[in-house]
This record gives sequence, C-alpha cells and structure tokens, in this order.
Amino acid sequence: MFTFVVRRLVSAILVMFSISVMVFLIFFATPGVNPAARIAGRSASPQVLAQVSAEFGLNRPLPIRYGLMMWHLFIKQDLTSYVNIGVRVIPQITGAAPVTLSLVLGAAVIWLIVGVAGGLVAAANRGKWVDPLIMFGGIAAVSIPVFWLGQVVGLLTQTKFHSVFQWLPGSGYVSFTQSPGQWALHLLLPWFTLATLYAGVYARVLRAELVNAMNEDYVRTARAKGLSERRILMRHALRCSLISVVSLFGLDFGSLVGGAALLTEVVFGLPGIGMLTYTSLQNLDLPVIMAAVMYGAFFIVLASAVVDVLYAVLDPRVRVVK
Amino acid sequence: MKNSVSKWLRVAAAASALSSAAFVASSASSASAAGPTYQPAHAGGTLKLLATGAGGTLDPQVNYTLQYWQLYQATYDGLVTFQKVGGTPSFTIVPDLATSLPTVSKNGLTYSFTLRKGIKFSNGQPVTVDDVKATFQRLFKVSNPNAGTWYNVIVGGPACVTTPATCTLPGLVVNAATNSVVFHLIHADAEFLDQLAVPFGSILPASTPPKDQGSTPIPGTGAYKFASYNPNTALVMTRNPYFKVWSSAAQPQGYPDTIVQTFGQTVESEVTSVENGQADWIFDPLPSDRLQQVSTKYAKDVHVHTLTADWYLPMNMNIAPFNNLKARQAVNYAIDKNAAVTLDGGVQLATPTCTILPPNFPGHVNACVYNKGNGSTYAGPDLAKAKALVKASGTFGEKVAVVSQNDPVDANIGQYVVSVLNSIGYKATLKPLSQNIQFNYIQDSNNHVQISLTQWFQDYPAASDFINVLLSCANFHKGSPNSINISGMCVPSIDAKIHQAENLMITNPTAANKLWGQLDTQIMAQQAPWVPLFNPKLVDFTSSRVGNYQFSLEFYMYVDQLWVK
Repeated sequence: MFTFVVRRLVSAILVMFSISVMVFLIFFATPGVNPAARIAGRSASPQVLAQVSAEFGLNRPLPIRYGLMMWHLFIKQDLTSYVNIGVRVIPQITGAAPVTLSLVLGAAVIWLIVGVAGGLVAAANRGKWVDPLIMFGGIAAVSIPVFWLGQVVGLLTQTKFHSVFQWLPGSGYVSFTQSPGQWALHLLLPWFTLATLYAGVYARVLRAELVNAMNEDYVRTARAKGLSERRILMRHALRCSLISVVSLFGLDFGSLVGGAALLTEVVFGLPGIGMLTYTSLQNLDLPVIMAAVMYGAFFIVLASAVVDVLYAVLDPRVRVVK
Repeated sequence: MKNSVSKWLRVAAAASALSSAAFVASSASSASAAGPTYQPAHAGGTLKLLATGAGGTLDPQVNYTLQYWQLYQATYDGLVTFQKVGGTPSFTIVPDLATSLPTVSKNGLTYSFTLRKGIKFSNGQPVTVDDVKATFQRLFKVSNPNAGTWYNVIVGGPACVTTPATCTLPGLVVNAATNSVVFHLIHADAEFLDQLAVPFGSILPASTPPKDQGSTPIPGTGAYKFASYNPNTALVMTRNPYFKVWSSAAQPQGYPDTIVQTFGQTVESEVTSVENGQADWIFDPLPSDRLQQVSTKYAKDVHVHTLTADWYLPMNMNIAPFNNLKARQAVNYAIDKNAAVTLDGGVQLATPTCTILPPNFPGHVNACVYNKGNGSTYAGPDLAKAKALVKASGTFGEKVAVVSQNDPVDANIGQYVVSVLNSIGYKATLKPLSQNIQFNYIQDSNNHVQISLTQWFQDYPAASDFINVLLSCANFHKGSPNSINISGMCVPSIDAKIHQAENLMITNPTAANKLWGQLDTQIMAQQAPWVPLFNPKLVDFTSSRVGNYQFSLEFYMYVDQLWVK
C-alpha cells in the first residue's frame, strides 16, 4: 500500500509539472499576449511599460519566470492575478470550489439514483417494451449537449413560461450558509441539467453490466439454490456490476469537481471552478489559468488513485492478481 | 461599447496637448447650472447592475475601463470634473473639490486652485492639500497608464516617470494655510484640465499605499463608497456617511441606498434578468439577436446614444502593399461602410463615417473624401475607382492578411473586408485573433500586420485625443506592443500642423478646432491611413422599475441618479 501511494504521488507530481510547463510555454509563445502591455494601458509610454514589466517580473528569462510563478503559487501562496490586480489566486480557487462541489454533489445524487434505477429496470425487463424505451431515453440524454439543454431550460423557465416558473430565481448562486433554501432553488435546474448526460451514460453502462452478470456462473448457482430473480438481481448481479459504475463515477466526479462542469457553470452563471477557468481563459489571466489547471489536474489524479484503491476493495480478484 | 475585451482598453488615451477649451471656457457660466432638483421621495432601494465580468483593479489611479470610470463618478472627485448632467453639457468642466476653475497664467504654465474646506473622505478624514500633493505623486508611483503621456507635463514629472520611487513632483506646490494648490507645467497644455477631470485625477487620502490597491477599496469623497469587491462575484457600493452636497453639478446626492454590480452571468441571461425585473441594467452590449425583441417589447426602457468613438481599419503605411498611397485610397473607395454597419447590427447600432473625428465632437467637419459622387455625406463605395487605383499602384495580386478579433461581429466585418479586397485584385485572408490578444498584436510592428479592424473611444472631448494620439509620430513606437498609432503614420509636415493646432488651442480654441477639422480632411485625402467605418451607438436597457435615466457623453449613464423607488 505504501509503495502504491508513493508511486501515485510521484506520478501526480510529474503529471502536474509537465502540465504546468506546457500551459506556461503555450501562454508566452502566443504572439500579442504580453501581459505587461495590457496592464500598462492603452497608450502607455515606453517607460511606463518597462516599469510594469519589471514590477511583474516579466522582463526576466522564461525559466526564472516559471520558477517564480510556481514559488508564489505553491510555496508563498500569494500569486496574484494579471487582470484583477492584487487579487490573490488561491482564495479565488478556494472561493469557487464550494460552488462547484455543491453543483456536482447534487447532480451526482440525481444521476446515480436515476442512472442506477434506469439500468436496473431496463435489465430486469429485458425483452419487454420498457427496456428499449429506457435505453432510447439514455441515448437521448447522452446526445443532448449540456450547454444547449441549459440554455433551453433557461429560456423556458425564465422567458417563455416565466409566469409559471416565477418561484424559480434567475441565474446565479447563493451559498448554503447564507440560505439553504435559496441555495437549493438556485441549483435545482443546474443539477438536473448536469445530471442528464451522466444518468443516461450510467443507465446504459449498468444495464450492459447486469445483462453480462446474469449469464455468469454465480448467478446460475444462485438460481439453482432457488433464490428469487429479484434477490439475484439486487443482491448478486448488482453488486458485481457496480464495480465498473464506481470506477466510472470516480473519474467523472473527479474531473467535474476539477472544473469539467464548466459549460453548466457558464450557462447558469455559477461562479465555480469551471467559470473561473472560463473567465481567466477569456482574459488570458495566466496566474488564474495556471492555478485552475493545477487544481483540475490534482483532482483527476486524485480521483483515479481513489478509484484504483476502491476497485481493489470491491473486487477481490484485482487484489489477487496484484 | 462593442465588445467585452475593450473593457480594459475601451476608454482611449492621449499624449500631450489640446482640449476642449471651448467647453471649458463656457463652463464658468454653466457651473452654477446644477442638475435637476433632488427628489427625496425617490431615494432608497438597491440598484442591481449586471456585467459578464469584472473590470479589473478598483484603484481609480490605475483602472482604465469605462466599466469602473462610470462608477467612479459617484465615488471619487478630482479638483475639477465633467458636469453631472445629461447631453452635450456633460462635456463641460466644472469645479469639484476646488472652489472654482483654476486661474491660469497668461503663458499657460501655472494653474492655481483653492481647495474646498470641510469635505471628508468616506473614512472620516478631512481632505487637505497634502492629500492632493500625495495623490499626484502616487499617480507616478502606481505606474498610471498615462503617467508618461499626460501627467509628465507637470514640472518634475519626467523624473517621476523615470524613477517613481523617489518622486517628489516639485511642480505641484500646496499651501495648507491658504488651501492653495498650484501646478507648474513644463509647457502650456490645453488638455491639462481634461486630464485632471478624468478619474485618474481623483483625490485620495495621503495615507493610501503607493501601490496598485487592486481589489481593496480606497476611500473617496463621492456620494457613495465601495463597500466590498470580489472580481468573481460582485462590487457593492453604499452611501458615504460623510458626504454632504457641496455642488450638485459636480457631485450630486444619489438615489439608491445600495448599488450592486454582479458578475458572472452570460449576456443572454442578463437580458432575461432585466426583462423579468430581477436586475435593473446590464453593462455589456446587448446581443444583436435580442435587440429586436428588446427594442419592440420594452421600447420605453431602451435608451440609444451615438458614441464619440470610431470603428476603423488602420493600414500599415510602412509595409507592402499599404505603403502605397493609391493602394490605401483604393481600399477606402472599395469598402461599403453601410455593409459594415449592417454587420454590426444595423442602423440602430451604428452610423457610417468618413472622418477621423466623430460627429458632435470638437473639430468635426462633415466631409467624405472617398465616396460615390462628390457629396459630403457617405453615399456608397466606388468599386471602379478602387480597381483602377489598385492597377495604378502596381500592388495588384499582392497577398494581404486582415487581422480582426474573433468575436462574431468583428470576424464577420473582417470576412467582409477580405471579400472586398479580393474583389479589387488582392489575395486576402482573414486572421481572427482572441479579443484580448488582437489589440496589442496589431500595434506591434514586429508582427507585420498589414490591415486590421479596431476601435477607439475618446478619453475626453478634444480633437487631439483622436488625431494626435492615433496619427502622430510621437505615438508610433517601433517593435512595441504599446504603439497606438497603428498605421505607423509619421509625416513631418502633418506632425508640424498637429503641433500648430495644439498650440493654437491654448489661445484660440475656435480657430484651433477649425484647423483640426481641416487636418482631418487633409490626412484622409493625402495619406488615407485608415478606412473609417462607423461611429457605434450604445444601447442601455433598464428594468421597468427604473426612473430618472440620464446620459453623460463623457462617462455614460449616471448609475447613482437612477430611481428604483
């Protein structure tokens, strides 16, 4: 276990290092991107431009600039934005993280319930009309782009049928500590919008796994013991089929918390990690881009490590092989 | 304003010189002409403003965005300011923290003010002459965008630009006993008062650290103070408890108790929020696909104003093919400005223009050198003339890259320019760049940009803010990303005339503005450095509960004058 953790940690650091170098180099290789020129202002004189360059350390060689940025980001933790001068980057990330977490947690509950129920019902009713209907619904949910769905939901509730949906607030976010009720109301549509895609995927994956499991030897044994079909499905086949769902969930959850819920956040005006990444990319605000990318990479690496561990816990065969 | 990028850049900047001395001159009489009487019945409530993104640092001596310049009107004061009334009188300069407009010496080198007594900052400290002195030293210490182009005219300014840390600014002399504030200038500068009246000249407490304060609010003297600022969520303004009206023309009492600008929604959802009464106004330009719906369904809540700004195509006069006058003239004849207006959203959003100076701007003359026919009003393109000029120039068949921003409006206009260039004999392609990159990219001569699409918004009403800033030798810096003379035009005879007009502005503004108008036409006819496309319009959309909308040509809608009750 110890070597496993160490190996994971080393590979995580390597991954994050190479990503940070790439982000840094791409940024400064882009022509016209000189942050000093934009900070200095529209008609700054050459002297003022030189002062701004010096103040932000932008007149130094690239490797030193990279080192300084990493030093300020990770060691001193006082890296500041190029656009919102003086605003520290880390508090922006820690401020945005709860928003993303609220969004992803709520959506995850919905997609797990809907996805698992859909998969179970479809597998139990294999060959009947319910199965293809649920699978069609799953395909439809997977195919709808989240930004489109979000816009349409917004259009219907805020414009077309606003009189019916007046109880729904406009876009934006209210924190849980401020008002739990408003928090939930503001997140209601984003939760369902984000969950749609994943519910579709999970229902389809689980159904396929269940159908496979129902043909396994242990299921035949259970049948021979005279257990009811329902008990076999719920107690035996489902447990085994959940393994792939769990690993899928770990990766999805990790990447969403790390910023992959960007489109949902932008469409619903939620100031989370995705939105922060989006605005910093629009503003070419390298310090924030760097911090957001590092944060996202960290969560993805972390999630895949957790999934590996969970996998071993759930499926004894994995441990045996190791 | 057209696009979100220019949030940083949209308010223009200038080098030395000239101003609307004509407007200043008239201000003595209108200074007392305060705005409408305050109506306490409408006071109170929370005004909810929306913007897709924040405007960067909140420091008024550094921030150069219209987004916050608009809010600074209610939070900060300079020695002088632009009068807080609607329409053309908003270009008039009136005394603010100073008791009256300055006494200017005959040679134009000394500006003497007396500071008002009894005014307090929002932290309770009284405003003293020491605060004034520290404010102007701080301008240099925080690397104000125009420290090296505007304020270095003060004696000691150039030294402050070179070594800001030791800036003493001996040219600003204050006397605590008499409350006098005297500026000594290196040379006469007709725009000096304008430059004191914009937010860079806001008087701040002497205790303000000499470093860009970023998101930390600095106390001011206005009717409101910034209570909190998080660039990812919101900017909140509340009433300044120490504020008492001293001149309603300079700093009137505001109406809402709280003003909140919230960030982070898409512009589409902002429009919907205002329609539903969940918010009161949006800062961002309305998306053109919502314009029709909004302007018909909510006609009484839509306010349209032509801005003193240009959309134009600067052509690089130092590299082929546009180092050839005939080639530049050909493009001027070929582009259909009405087509560009249509692509921008139609006549509701823009007016075609042939001149450098926008209409209703000092010095503007109605002229159209490159036109179908001989009229002074734009009638359409003349493709035959354009094709003949391309042939005569010997540049036929050359490759041209058009550099535009990549947002839909800019890219569409860029694509249109490409099609026109192809139709007159060039091999043109479009190079769309991200909004934040393009503006500095096209300025840098190392990038060899031949023709691009860009915008310029005034700083203050002075012809030199266009002609001198955008077309003089002093503002072309080879190989620098801050070289606002994008055409790279440097013609000694025209530069001499620019200086002549600037000098004349000090003594005879009327004659000077006439000269600026002649220069505008002369530059277009003899040099054709740009294709002026159109003057944009601003559409403000307010919620139905909002009243008392007033528009300043200088800083746009007065947020603090809106009624929400």
